[in-house]
Amino acid sequence: MMSTLALIALVVGVGAVTFFYRYAMIGLFAGDRLPGWLHALCRHIAPASFAALTASALFIDAGAVSIALDAPKPWAALIAALVAWRSGSVLATIGAGMAALYILKLIL
Amino acid sequence: MNRPALREFLAGCRDEAPLLLGAVPFGILYGISALAAGIPAWLAQLASAVVFAGAAQLVIVQMLAAGAGMLPTALTSGLLNLRHLLYSASMATYVGHLPRRWRMLLAYLLTDEAYAVAVLRYQARPPAEGLDLRHWYFFGAGFTLWFAWQLSTAFGLVFGAAIPPAWELDFAVPLTFIALLTLLLRERPGQAAALAAGGGVLLFAALPFKLGLVLAILAGLGAGVWTARRREQA
Repeated sequence: MMSTLALIALVVGVGAVTFFYRYAMIGLFAGDRLPGWLHALCRHIAPASFAALTASALFIDAGAVSIALDAPKPWAALIAALVAWRSGSVLATIGAGMAALYILKLIL
Repeated sequence: MNRPALREFLAGCRDEAPLLLGAVPFGILYGISALAAGIPAWLAQLASAVVFAGAAQLVIVQMLAAGAGMLPTALTSGLLNLRHLLYSASMATYVGHLPRRWRMLLAYLLTDEAYAVAVLRYQARPPAEGLDLRHWYFFGAGFTLWFAWQLSTAFGLVFGAAIPPAWELDFAVPLTFIALLTLLLRERPGQAAALAAGGGVLLFAALPFKLGLVLAILAGLGAGVWTARRREQA
């Protein structure tokens, strides 16, 4: 865990960058158009980020790949993914995933 | 604020309200998992005001909990927020005539949820009686989300301290990512991006400070762009 000062710098830095994105086209470069490649790139940011974060949370432990069949979290995540696919609801996904985690922790 | 402006502002608040149903649980979850990651409560609340972007804030918390370094965390959340550039470009024609202080205020409030509501208003209805007050509507929508986000963060922070770690509520964060991801996987380029990024995480796991996560996301972006281009040519 980094120091409080580093955390403040991180928050302020990400906040400044985010405000820059939001203000850029309506304030700084008003009248300019975004290039087409940037449009194309932005469409893939969300799926790439969420997949990387999910894989990291499930299969990376202290900087090493750990895929264990008797670990409850990947299985709970799989059940959550099925619920997400069928329902399309974030709340139902979280509910199913947490319930699956608790049950699997009792069984495994 | 005169009466027609107030009416526009309140219409924006009202139309934003249904979207709070999705945002408020996010804010509570963010507050709870920020505490679990060891972030001081005041700083987590400050981040909700300074960053004011739900997905990026959850990413920061998730990465810090996993022991990521400052640069990879900043790069990943900065990359995720790049989409706001698109919203800004889309809104430019509608708010470009406003004074600078208005444009800065509306830019600060330009989230996914405020954009979704405000852009519909701008596209659907020409200004009434010659006077364009639709920025008050945008302000109302943005302010409503801002207020709910600060409040739900605070709720999560207060509530989160009372939750035992054995409940593993921080597992709800990857579950949220799974839900959002599933909604994005309807098309081939999105699938390719997700597959490459997920594989990249396993491939680059040994890199320090979670830098592998940044590389994996870049690999996903490459795969997505490449697949989309190949489909255009086919």
